[in-house]
Amino acid sequence: MGNQAGDRADEGQTAGTAKRSAVVYAAAALAVLLVGAAIGMLITLSAVGRDDPPGADSVDVGFAQDMRTHHLQAITMAGWARNGSQDAEIRQLAFDIESTQLDQSGQFSGWLTAWGQPALAPIDQPHMRWMAGAAHGHGDGPAGTEQMPGMATSEELARLRNSTGAEFDVYFLQLMLRHHEGGLEMAAYAADHARLGYVRNMAAKIKQGQQAESTLLTDMLTARGSKPLPS
Amino acid sequence: MASGTKKKGKPNAVKAARASVVAKKGKPWGTIAAVVAVLLLAGGVFGYAYVKVSAAEKFLPADDNKDPSEKIAGVVRQTYSPGQHVDATQRVAYDQSPPFGGPHDGVWADCTGIVYPTAVRNENMVHTLEHGAIWIAYNPDTVTGPALDKLKSLVDNKPYMVMSPYPGLDRPISLQSWGHQLKLDSADDERIDQFIRSLRTNVYQHPEPGGRCDSNGTGFNPAAPPPFVAEQPGPDAIGMDGKPVTPAPPAAPTSSAPPTQ
Repeated sequence: MGNQAGDRADEGQTAGTAKRSAVVYAAAALAVLLVGAAIGMLITLSAVGRDDPPGADSVDVGFAQDMRTHHLQAITMAGWARNGSQDAEIRQLAFDIESTQLDQSGQFSGWLTAWGQPALAPIDQPHMRWMAGAAHGHGDGPAGTEQMPGMATSEELARLRNSTGAEFDVYFLQLMLRHHEGGLEMAAYAADHARLGYVRNMAAKIKQGQQAESTLLTDMLTARGSKPLPS
Repeated sequence: MASGTKKKGKPNAVKAARASVVAKKGKPWGTIAAVVAVLLLAGGVFGYAYVKVSAAEKFLPADDNKDPSEKIAGVVRQTYSPGQHVDATQRVAYDQSPPFGGPHDGVWADCTGIVYPTAVRNENMVHTLEHGAIWIAYNPDTVTGPALDKLKSLVDNKPYMVMSPYPGLDRPISLQSWGHQLKLDSADDERIDQFIRSLRTNVYQHPEPGGRCDSNGTGFNPAAPPPFVAEQPGPDAIGMDGKPVTPAPPAAPTSSAPPTQ
């Protein structure tokens, strides 16, 4: 009797232990899953802001430096038109271009500062080397170029500055149109090839915006009885 | 000692068995406490991570969250081409009321936290959206008193915010951002704050990052803004594609006597 009772008790104990272990294992598994999921989420979260900054030879840095230089000349020309033109439509557009590109150029220099890179490319460094993968048709290849497409020369800038009235208006529209179109290639390349999403986004916005503004500039030239500079 | 133990062995075993049966029927408190403690800890870690992640995703524009307004119920979206301008004498035949994208005047309405007391011309307001502003439009017949004050407090002196009455608005309140609109009934709706957080100067959603909010004397006087026009624009209006709305085909005799079906 006593032995039987003992055996039964042992069996009961074994069953109870098994049940308890099952609960403990299940709880442990749940705990592991929860912690694992949490770690996964936190890694994703921290990875978002933890990209290594792009290096000196990257598309991101090259675009930010060169597009900033390109923008700065547009800001200069647009500032003259905003102050000097007698044509309200030109003053409006010039102010729009000037203020938007000034803000964007500030974003470029902010990125470059945060990435530990100079806010402008070194004076002796050719432009657009970062577009080595692009066939940009200027015969410069991976070596880059001294003069970015669309940039006005010092002589052209002087001529714009010294002209007045309708002559100024038309020449401003012509130079700005060529400038906008010249920047498209860089914007399009960076929109596709920059590493950082916010750089690609800005490049895409510039490409889209300057395309639309090029149409506008062409229409404004037509409306003033003129046409784009010969390419 | 040994023999004594042995003697008591049997009864003790039974007792132990009974005790263990009793213990099994009761609760193994130690184990439960340990399991609960581990689960609480794991749940805490998970909860912390979850809150962190969801907070990061909520209404904060970022490269991996380009349009946080997707999480807001009722937002209407539409894609528009940027950079199409009309002059001060032209009207645009907008596809939405209030409009939230499309061709617009070359000059933007000042959107430097201005609460316009009168309804403002749509063509100027749409240009503010292209630059990243939020435009709060309200029906002046249905939004008054404390509700109106609440909306004003969201806009007054806040950069990239602008507000104006919109006569005949089909709902009390309508929020506009480029390509986004949310119509609401109450100034207390939490989605107002969510919409503003999600879209104000959200560089992923408006076409001209860095576009300015003061017109700076280029053709828009915020003290005397060009008025809103309630009448439908005529056939000389500019269409959503930026081209003049082509007038309907010349009214041939057939159109004066439409076929009855």
